[in-house]
Amino acid sequence: MKKQLLINSIKSERFVAAATCLFMAASAMLLSLSIILFAGLMGSVDRLMETAGTPDFLQMHAGDISAEDISEFAGGRNDVEEMQIAGFLNLQNSDLSLGEKSLSENTQDNGLCTQSDKFDLLLDAEGNVIFPSEGEVYIPVCYREEYKVEIGDTMHIGSESLTIAGFLRDSQMNSMMASSKRFLVSKQDYERLRPHGSEEYLIEFKLREGSDLNAFATAYHEAQLPENGPTITFPLIRMMNALSDGIMILVILLVSAVILFISVLCIRTLIMTQLEKDKREIGIMKAVGISGGGICSMYFSKYLLLSAAGSLIGLGAAMIISGPLGARMRELYGNPGNMAMIITGAILGGAAAEGIILLSVLRTLHRMDRLSAVEALYGRGAFGREKSLLLPVSVITAAAVFIILVPFNMNSTIASPGFATYMGIGESQIRIDIRQNANTKVNVDAVTGTLEKDERVSGFVLMQTSAYGVMLSDGTTYDLMIETGDHGRYPVKYTEGRYPEKENEVALSILNAREMNIKLGDELQIIRNGDGAGAETITCRVCGIYSDITNGGKSAKACFSKSENTGSVMWSIIYLSLKDGYSPGDWVREYKESGFVAGSDRISDGLRITLIEDYLQGTYGQTIRKISSASVICGTLACLILFTVILLMTRLMIWKERGESSLMKALGFTAGDLKKRYVKRNLAAVAIGLFFGIFAGIVPGETLAGLLLGTMGAYGFHFILKPAFIFTVVPLVILITVLAALFISLREVDGIRAYECLGE
Amino acid sequence: MAELLRVTKLGKRGILEAVSFSMQEGEMIAVMGPSGSGKSTLLYNVSGMDRADAGESVLAGQNLTGLNEDERAALRLTEMGFVFQQMNMIKNLNLVDNIVLPAVHADRKNKKEHYRRAAMLMEKFGIGDLAERRINEVSGGQLQRACICRSMIMNPKILFADEPTGALNQAAATEVIDAFLEINREGTGILMVTHDGRMASMCERILYILDGEIRGELRLGKFSPEHAKEREKKTTGWLEAMGW
Repeated sequence: MKKQLLINSIKSERFVAAATCLFMAASAMLLSLSIILFAGLMGSVDRLMETAGTPDFLQMHAGDISAEDISEFAGGRNDVEEMQIAGFLNLQNSDLSLGEKSLSENTQDNGLCTQSDKFDLLLDAEGNVIFPSEGEVYIPVCYREEYKVEIGDTMHIGSESLTIAGFLRDSQMNSMMASSKRFLVSKQDYERLRPHGSEEYLIEFKLREGSDLNAFATAYHEAQLPENGPTITFPLIRMMNALSDGIMILVILLVSAVILFISVLCIRTLIMTQLEKDKREIGIMKAVGISGGGICSMYFSKYLLLSAAGSLIGLGAAMIISGPLGARMRELYGNPGNMAMIITGAILGGAAAEGIILLSVLRTLHRMDRLSAVEALYGRGAFGREKSLLLPVSVITAAAVFIILVPFNMNSTIASPGFATYMGIGESQIRIDIRQNANTKVNVDAVTGTLEKDERVSGFVLMQTSAYGVMLSDGTTYDLMIETGDHGRYPVKYTEGRYPEKENEVALSILNAREMNIKLGDELQIIRNGDGAGAETITCRVCGIYSDITNGGKSAKACFSKSENTGSVMWSIIYLSLKDGYSPGDWVREYKESGFVAGSDRISDGLRITLIEDYLQGTYGQTIRKISSASVICGTLACLILFTVILLMTRLMIWKERGESSLMKALGFTAGDLKKRYVKRNLAAVAIGLFFGIFAGIVPGETLAGLLLGTMGAYGFHFILKPAFIFTVVPLVILITVLAALFISLREVDGIRAYECLGE
Repeated sequence: MAELLRVTKLGKRGILEAVSFSMQEGEMIAVMGPSGSGKSTLLYNVSGMDRADAGESVLAGQNLTGLNEDERAALRLTEMGFVFQQMNMIKNLNLVDNIVLPAVHADRKNKKEHYRRAAMLMEKFGIGDLAERRINEVSGGQLQRACICRSMIMNPKILFADEPTGALNQAAATEVIDAFLEINREGTGILMVTHDGRMASMCERILYILDGEIRGELRLGKFSPEHAKEREKKTTGWLEAMGW
C-alpha cells in the first residue's frame, strides 16, 4: 500500500518529482565531482612524488660546485638520508623546436638532464623509470598537447636533432607554475650537447622522516654551500603540483555549496506547497489516529526514493564529467591509483549532499505537527508563515548570478595584466631575464645601455637578486633573497604598507613574513657584503608586505645602493615599458632576432626577453583555461537551475492562485492579461535578485575568491571587473532564461476555466 | 450498561461553555443546534482531535485531556472511528487501500487480515465491487460508505460523525443512515453531529446545543423501524420547541 501511495504520488506530480530529483542530483553531482577531482589530483600527485622520490630540499645553482664539500656536509648530518647532484643543461629556447614548432615563445627554462641515480626519477606514462638510448629524448608530458608532439617526431637543438621516444612525468617540474622543464637524454647525448647550453646544478637532498626542513635549510646556508639559484622544498613542489587544477576544483566546490543551498530552498518550498495542498488529507490521517511521525514517514519515503534516484544520477554524472575535466590532470600526474577510495569518497560526498537535503525535508515535514487534526481538516491555520513564492525566485536569481559572476570575475582578474602585480610582478610590458654567468656584469651594462638609447622605451628598471643573511631579534638567522632596485617604477600590490624607498627599508613577501613571524614596522638585521671581512650589519624596518608567486613565494625587496651587492647577484631582471604607439610584441620580436650587443659580441647566452602577457600565459595559462572552463560549466548550470526554478515556482504560483485566476477570467480578463501579471511579478522578483546577485558576486564574491586565490599565493587582491559583461551580458542571459521558463510554464494559464471558481 | 464516555465541564474559549454529558456503551446520540452553536467543536474536543481549554473527556476510562498529541492519536486509531461531511480520502490510494490505511498503520503484520475485514465491511455496506476504484471514480454515497468502512476497520468502541449526510442526496443519505443503524446494532456507540431531523430521530438521545451550551435533551429510546414516523414527528415538535 505504501508502495502504491509512493508510486501514485510521484505519478500524479511528475513535474514536481522530476524537479526535486533534479535538485538532488545536481547537489550530489557537484559535491561528488569536487571529491573525485580533488582526491584524484592529490592521489595522482602523491603517487607520482612517491614513485619518483621527489627531493625534500633542492638548491639550484648556476656556477662551479664542489661535490666533496656537499658530500661532507651531508655525511655530517644525521637528518640526511640521501643526497645527489644532478646536472641541468640550460638551453636557449630560440634554439629549440619540437616537431615543426619552435620553442622561442616558450617562457619556461628548458634544458636537458640525464636520469638520476637514486631519487628524483623521471617516469614514463606507466610510472616506469626511463633510460633513453643514444639519439632519443623524452619530453615533458605537458608539451604533448601544447606542441602537438607525437612519438617519433624530432626535437631540434640548434643543428643537432634527437628522436622523441616518449613523454616523461617530472614530479618536480610537471606543473606549468614550475618555471623549468627537464628533457631526458642519454649520458652520451648530454655530454655531446653540453656546448649548446650552460650547465646548472640541482643539489638534492632526501631527509629522514620527521626531519625539520627549515633547520636543514638554515644549516645549508650557514655551511656556505653553493646557492646561486632558487631553493625549493617538498611542500612547495606538492603545492605547485596541486594548484593548477586545485583552483578549478575549489570553484566547483564553491558552486556545489550554492547549488546545495538552492536545492534545500526549492525543495522546502515544494514541500510547503505540497503540504498546503494536502492539508485536508493530512487532517483526515491525523483524525483517524495516524501519528505525526506516521504521516511524516509516508511523505518522507517519497523524498528518500527521489533522493536515492538523484544521488545515483548525480554520482553517474559526476563520474562521466570527471573524465574530461580530469584528463589533463591524469596526463600530467598519472592515475591516482586509489580508485576505491575515490569512489567511496564520491559516494560519501553525494550522500552528504543528500543527507543535508533530507534533514531539511524532515524538518519541513515536521511542520505538520503545528496543526491539529481539526485545523488541518478545515483548512484553518497554516503549516508555516505564508511566504510569497516570489521570494525564492529572487533568492535563486541572486544565487545564480553569484555562481556566474564569481568564477567569471576570478577569470577576468587572473587574465588581466594588472593581476601580475598581486603576484609579485610589476605592471610593465616586457621582462628581460639575465641569467647569472661569468659575463653578467658586462651583459647587464650592455642591455641597460641599449635600452637607454632606444627611443621607444618609456622607462625600465633593473632588479638584481642576491642572498643575504638575516638575523631576527631572537637570534635566529634566515637566508633571504632580496631583490634590489627601484621598486617605485613598476610597483607590485602591497597587502600592507608600501615599497621600500630608503636604504634601511625592506619589504617581505607574505610567505617570508609568516615564516619569520614578522609584522609591518618590525626591524630586521641584514648582513650585507657577504660573511667575510667586509660584512656589515644594518637594521632595516619592514615597510611593506606583498604576495608573490615567483621563486617559491619567498622573496624580499629593498633599494640598497648597487655597489654593495654586485659580487653576489644571483640573477637580474629588467622590467620595461614602451611609449604609447609602439607594439611590445614587435619590440620583443625585433630584439629576439637582433639581440643585444656587448662590445663586439652579440649576447646570445643567458638572456631571455618575454612579453609579460606571455609570461603570465605560460605560468597561469593552464589555470586560466581551467577556471575558464569551470566558469562556463557554472554559468550553464546556473541558467539550467534558474530555468527549472522559474518553471517550478510559476507552476506553483498558478496552482495556488487558480481560484483567483478563474474568477478573473469570469470577470472578463483574458489569459494574456493574467500571463502579463505573472511576467511582471516574476521580472520584478528577478530584477531584485539580479541586483543582489551582482552585488554578492562583486563584494562577498571578492572575499571568497580572495580565499581561493590565496591558496595560489595571491593575497589581498581586488577583482578586476568587466562592467560590459556584468551589467549587460549577465542580465541579458538571466532575462532570456527567465522569459523562456515563463513562456513554457504560463501555458498552463490557458487551461484555467472561468467556471472553476464557482465550484469552490 | 457500562459508561463509555463521560464529558465534564468541557470548555473551548469563546465556543464551548462547560459542557457535561455522558454516554453508555452501544448508545447512539445526535447533537443538534443551529450553525455556529459549537456542535462540531464539541465533537472534536470530546474525541481529542482538538485540545480543550478546560474540563475533561474520559473515554473507556482513559482521560483524553491529560494525553499528548501522539497518545491521543493512538487512542483515536484503536478506539474511535470518524466520518466527516467532506468524505476526505487520500487521492493517491484506491478505495480499499484508503479503508485499510489506519489498520495497516497500527499493525503491519496482519495486512491480509485487514484486507479481509475491509472486504467484509465493503460487502456489508454495498460497495464490495468497488475495492480497486480510485476515489474520483465513485459516487458521493459510495465514497461516504467507504469512509464508514474506514472508520470501522479497527472495530472501534465509538464512532464520531460530523454531518455524515450533509453533502449527499436523499437516496445516498438513506444508504448512509442504514449503515449507521447497522453499526450501532452491532454494539458500537455513535456520537453524531447532524442537521438532519430524520437521522436524529433514529438516535436514542438528542442533545440540543446553543451558544456553546447544552440547552436541552430528548430521550427517544432504541430505534425500531415500525416507530420511525412517530419518532420523527416527536423530534420535529421538540426541535420547534427548542427554537430550531
